[in-house]
Formats: sequence, structure tokens, C-alpha cells
Amino acid sequence: MLTILPLLLLTTVLCSAAHAQDITVAAASDLNYALKDLASSFEKKTGDKVTLSFGSSGNLYSQIRGGAPYDLFFSADIAYLQKLAAAGLVESSSLRTYAIGHLVLWVPNGSSLDPQKLKMNLLLQSAVQRIAIANPTHAPYGRAAMAALEHFGLKDKVARKLVFGENISQAAQFVQSGNAQAGLIALSLAVSPAMKDSGRYWELPTDSYPELQQGVALLAASKHKPAAKAFVEYVLSAEGAAVLEQYGFRVPASK
Amino acid sequence: MEWVGVEMSGATTAAPAEQLTVRLKKSFRRDSGSQFTLDVELAVAPGFTILFGASGAGKTTLLDCIAGLQTPDEGAIAIAEVVLFDSESRVNLPPRRRAVAYLLQSLALFPHMTVEQNVQYGLAALNQRDRDARSGEVLESFRISSLLQRRPNEISAGERQRVALARALVTRPRVLLLDEPLTALDAVTKARILDDLRAWNRRHRIPILYVTHDREEVFALGESAIVLEEGHILARGSPHEVLQRPQSETVAQLAGFENIFECSVTGSHPEYGTMTCRIAGSTLDLEVPLVRVNAALRLCVGVRAGDILLASSKPQGLSARNVLDGTIASLEQRDMKVIAIVTCGPDFEVHLTLAARESLQLKPGARVWLVIKTYSCHVLQ
Amino acid sequence: MIVQALTLTLRLAIMVSAILLVIGVPLAYWLAFSRRRWKFLVEAVVSLPIVLPPTVLGFYVLVAVGPLSPVGRWYQALTGHTLAFTFEGLVVGSVLYSLPFAVQPIATSFAAVDQKLLDASALLGASGWRTFWRIVLPLGLPGVLTGLVLSFAHTLGEFGVVLMIGGNIPGATQTVSILIYDQVQALDYATANRTALILLLLCFTLLAILYGLRRRGVWNGWEWR
Repeated sequence: MLTILPLLLLTTVLCSAAHAQDITVAAASDLNYALKDLASSFEKKTGDKVTLSFGSSGNLYSQIRGGAPYDLFFSADIAYLQKLAAAGLVESSSLRTYAIGHLVLWVPNGSSLDPQKLKMNLLLQSAVQRIAIANPTHAPYGRAAMAALEHFGLKDKVARKLVFGENISQAAQFVQSGNAQAGLIALSLAVSPAMKDSGRYWELPTDSYPELQQGVALLAASKHKPAAKAFVEYVLSAEGAAVLEQYGFRVPASK
Repeated sequence: MEWVGVEMSGATTAAPAEQLTVRLKKSFRRDSGSQFTLDVELAVAPGFTILFGASGAGKTTLLDCIAGLQTPDEGAIAIAEVVLFDSESRVNLPPRRRAVAYLLQSLALFPHMTVEQNVQYGLAALNQRDRDARSGEVLESFRISSLLQRRPNEISAGERQRVALARALVTRPRVLLLDEPLTALDAVTKARILDDLRAWNRRHRIPILYVTHDREEVFALGESAIVLEEGHILARGSPHEVLQRPQSETVAQLAGFENIFECSVTGSHPEYGTMTCRIAGSTLDLEVPLVRVNAALRLCVGVRAGDILLASSKPQGLSARNVLDGTIASLEQRDMKVIAIVTCGPDFEVHLTLAARESLQLKPGARVWLVIKTYSCHVLQ
Repeated sequence: MIVQALTLTLRLAIMVSAILLVIGVPLAYWLAFSRRRWKFLVEAVVSLPIVLPPTVLGFYVLVAVGPLSPVGRWYQALTGHTLAFTFEGLVVGSVLYSLPFAVQPIATSFAAVDQKLLDASALLGASGWRTFWRIVLPLGLPGVLTGLVLSFAHTLGEFGVVLMIGGNIPGATQTVSILIYDQVQALDYATANRTALILLLLCFTLLAILYGLRRRGVWNGWEWR
């Protein structure tokens, strides 16, 4: 009996040693599908485990400011990372733009309206009673949506039709379930497996809203920096870029 | 309550005399796990019928069945020609249609209502004027008119008892059931309430089934008595028949015979109307009234503790046939009487007054003589 | 902003409590006195919202009875709009979510009324309704009040369900709890603090009044002695 105990102890230590390079990643909701894919490929390659937590960038920002123990932060808006860098919470040298986010106008399949034809004027149709966007106070895609509406001169006209999702995913959920008749959501969600066959979309011209620079940075307090760095490198590699493109992100030409 | 309407006219005319007939059987499992069966058949005439029995004998179950709070497995319950329950024809009136008044031991007065509201609760079918008239009358009968606006927690136990009675009787029920209503009261209050109840009963002749443990009440109230034991009726008749001359040992114990002995007949004296019995396991003989019985049979003889005289020196020239020699084993004061256990071979329990103990200077260990009249010995089967 | 959110929240709480009073009392009565063998199933269903996260409720309102489902389509045809993003939707969600908080204290209070009093009432000729109205309800009133207060308080603090289906529309579905959350998300901690403090004071005052009334005996009904 006594001999088993040290053996058990040894095994546990060895096991934990084997997982010493587990990393936890905070990521904006629009990366839901892309990052899951990238994470599993990374795990297969290196054996390091990647745990993902999704939310609105503003929410995650607050959590990190409050000391949440993540290793990496993939934000939908690089501005949050810049703020964190200024506060010394992320290593500014690690800050990189990994993708550009795009906004689309999406309607569910049952709708008689064609976003490709009507474009933004779709939102003025009487059949559209509710328009879902992410909450502009703390979600980058929400801010972008509001900017786009202003650009097209629609902001006042559709203001009372707007419903705010907690994050871009919830906004997508509102419109996919039919509770909202149209939504301004992330391209990455529109082309995701869950949504691509349930609706149609029109991609908004990139000059109608400020560029959604999605950035990633290493947290200063991370205890697994080598593995975290390796994951970022993977995401920014050619292989990673291909996955991102597949999921609706435009990867910047230069790093 | 349809039957209230029938009484609308006369305020104090007696309801027609009606008999309550009960025949029922009910089995259930007690909390302790044992099976209990209530199997009775009785007819209760207008007037007081005392239901007497030990706890667990089934008295409350019987009353519950008559009131409709429990349902018998089979049988029939009727008041004159009105059927309350019949298992064959599947009649089972709910309590509110039975015209049975049931006074529970806990009284169940509505704590959030005044005495007046409590008493008038059952009179909802009448208009306010009639309600006031009826309740006024019954409150007078029970002498609680002054308590109208008080709450149950503001009046004494005796007054609560009266209110409960008033509340039950104001509805002119056809049967009144009382489950040990006077247990918690002092003797004076008890007596007064019983007087009022008796007076009321003289005016309104309905069957009243009154459950009690107290022998005093049986004699004070009872026009007829029924003894219930383990779900069966053990004896019925006049209170005197049932208690003074109990026919069975259990009834005797219930009836308050403190001394019960198993004896065998050793001799009979028909010319004197007596016979001699030897107390089992001793050499003590008692002379008891002659009873026609097989001499070889074992009998029980019961003697009340209050019927035994104690003498501190051997008495001479007494009429009593039994003078027994013994020693005081113990003396104990309980309330206003002294309980003495005297060993004469078998032990006898004797009740004395405080004065007697004083004047005879009785102490444990003292040698005394017990004097028991032949007629104080009751032969039980 | 704060005032609007506050009035909305209070309106929601009052409406939900009123509705729960109307459905809660009969339901509680049935639970307290019914002797059906399948009563335990109803009890389990009523208690569900205590253990289920608000996300489940939100999911059902949004998807399972949303506009793409038969039930949702019927509702839309009837009323012209969906349940989500409306005040009515919040009311429905909150009523379901606070149901056990209303029903359980009332049912317990009703069941605690001495059976002997109910028997006495029946023996004096009272119908089931009369016994309820004159005996059960007056004596069970403390439980009814508790249920009312609990549903009110629970709705005041409602967050999960509103987050799931509210859509955060000021004046219609932006309750105080959502407002505070928003302000924190926007990193406006100062305003968030102010709003939170107002809600805290409101709740504290409410509870202080209620417990003060309890001391006065209004709560405890009538002592059975």
C-alpha cells in the first residue's frame, strides 16, 4: 500500500508536467469557429492544450483589467489591446493584427427580402420590424454597425427598430431565430457552418465603417509564454491565415 | 345547510326526537404498525350516551365516521330516516351536509374571529336579524353573552369551552358529538357547564354521544353508557350497570377498581348468599357475594380502594365479613387523598383522607387491619 | 437613463407580482390540499425555475417558441410581433422565473392551517369556497404576503432572462440591472456605481419597511392559542 502512494504522486506530477504548456485564450465571439479549428490543429501538432473563452471584446477587456488569468487575448478591436498595453497588462511587443473583420447585412432564409438587391435599403422595409446589432457601447461590431448606419444616413430612421445583442454572437442569434428580421453581423459568423445555409447576406463596403482591426497580444501575467507565443505564430502562419480566410476574415498582407 | 331552513319558525321548540343508528366496520394500520379494526353496531337515542373507553379504543375514529371526517370500510349510518352513509348504496354525505355537530377536544375555535363571529359562523344561511336572535339565545343559555367581541385567546378555558358548545349547538344539529370536552377544566367550571348542557338537552332532545374517561361525568350526565375496547363494544347499559357492576375485568379497570385479584372458589354458602374465594398465590380468603358460577372456574374479584377501611388496631364486633391483617408498605399523598399500599400477602391499594393519616399516626411498616364489606367485592368474569 | 430604467423595472416588478398573485393563490391552494397521486409532478414543474438557469428560459422564448416555431407563429399572428424584445416578453419570462418564489410560501402557509379548523368549518356547513375565503386565506395571509414580496424582489433583481431576450431597448426592456451591466461594459464605472447605489437603496428601503411591518405583527397573522 505504501509503495503505491509515491507511485501515484509521481504519475500525477508527470501528467501535470506533460500539460505544463496548457494555455487559456480569451477571444472575441466572432472567432468562435475559426479559433476552434485552429486550436484543434495546434493541439494535434504540438500536444499543447488550448482552452478557449469567447465573449464580447469589451467584456473580456474588463475581465482582464480585473485580473482574469488568460494567456492570450484575441480582440475584435485592437483599441482594447492598446489600452491594455498602456496599462502594462499586455506585452506591447507581442501586439499584432491577425485579421480584419467585416460587417454584413444578413437575413434568414424565410425572408422575402433580398439583401444583395436591396442592400441597406432593406432595413427601411416595413417587413423589417427589428434589426439586430451588437451593443455599440462595448462590442466593436456594434460600433461598426452604428458607424455604417450613420454613413448611409439611416441611423435616425431605423433607431427605434434596433435591438442590441450582448455580443455579436447574440445579435446573430436574434436574427437567425427569426426574432429580428435582419441584422448587421460579422462576416465570420455569416459564413460559419451554423449560419451559412440558413440565410443570405450582403457584404457592406469597407469604407462605410472604420476598419475592424482585430488584434492579438500576450498577457504580461501569463505563465505559459512559450506555448502562447507558439500559438500566435501558428495563427499568423500561412496555414493559420488560410483557416482565417476560410472563415470570413481578411488577413492583412503584411505582418 | 338545508336543514337550517326547516327550523326557521320556532326558536326553542324541540326538534322531533330522532335516533342515531350506526353500524360500521373500519380497518387501518396504526402508526405503530399494528392493525386495528373498529367493528361496532349501536343505536343512540335522544339524550346523553356516554362513550367510555381507554385511549386507542377507537372512540375518536367512531366519532369521525359519524361526522363524516373519516369513511368506514362498510356499514351504514343514519339519523332516523336520513341516511348519512351507506356502503351498499354508495351514499356518503360530506360533513357539511350531515347536520352533525362535533366538538373536538381541541375545540378548534377560529382564532382570528370574535366570539360572535365564531358562534354565527354556521348560520350563514340566515339573515342578520335571525342570526343575531339565534346566537343571542344560545349565548344566553351558556352564559357567555358578555364575551361577544372578545377573541378566543382573550377568554378563559372554561369560556372557550362554552363558546365551542354554543357554536356547535346554534346550528340546531340533529346529533351532537363531544370528544372529551371537559378534561382540562377544574371541577367547579366542569359542573357548571354540565348543568347548562343538561338544561339545554332537556329543551332540545337530540342524541348526544359524549366521550369521556371520567367516571364522575358518566354518572353526572349519562342516561346510557357504552364501553368501547380495542374497536369493539364491551358493554352497554345504564351507567350503573356498566360501571358499578362491571361484567369484565377490563371494564372494571376502566371503571376504577384499583384492586383486582384472580381467585378460585373454595366454598359456597347459599344460605348466606355468599361464597369464599381464595386469592391466587396466597392463603388469603375473601367473602364475596354469591354468583352462579362453576366452582372450578377462576374468577376475578375487584375491590375499590375507596371501599376499604383501615384500622390501626384489630377491630371487634364489625358487620364486615372480611378483616385482613397486614403491614403498610408505602404511603403517598396525591391531591387531597392518601394512597396506602398494604401488604396482606397480596397487595391492596387503600385510599384515605389526610385527616385519617394524621389521627391514626400511620407510617410505613405499621401493622394495620383492612376491613372490606362483602358487597364491596365485585365478582367479574 | 436611470429614471427610465428604474420606472421600467418597477413596472415590471409590480406587474409580475400582480400576475403571480392571481395565478399563484389558486395553484398554491391546489398544491396544499390536493390529494392526487401525481401532485408531486406538478410540484417538480413549479420548482423548476429555482434550479434552471435563466438561459434555459431565454432559449425557449427565443428559439423554441420563437417566430420560426408553430407556437411563435401563432403568437405573432395574434399580436403582430414576437415575444422577444418586448416588455410583455419580459413579463412572461419573469412570471415563469419567479413562479416558485410566489407559489411555495403561499402553499406552505395554506398547508400549515390546522386541519381541525378546516374540519370545524366543514362541520358548521361551510362549502369549500367559504372555508377558503374565511379560514384558509386569513390564516394563510402571511404566506401570501411573503410570496408577493419575494416575487417583487426577485423581479427587481432579474438579470439573466432579460439579458437573454430583452434586446436592451431603453424604455421597453432595459431594466436597471441591464443598465448597470452596460455601464460597466462601457467602462463607465462612475455611473455604474451611482446606478447600483440607487437600486441598493431602493431594495433596502423596501425590505426595511416590510420587516418593520413584520415586527408590528401584521405579518404573523393570528396566533392560534
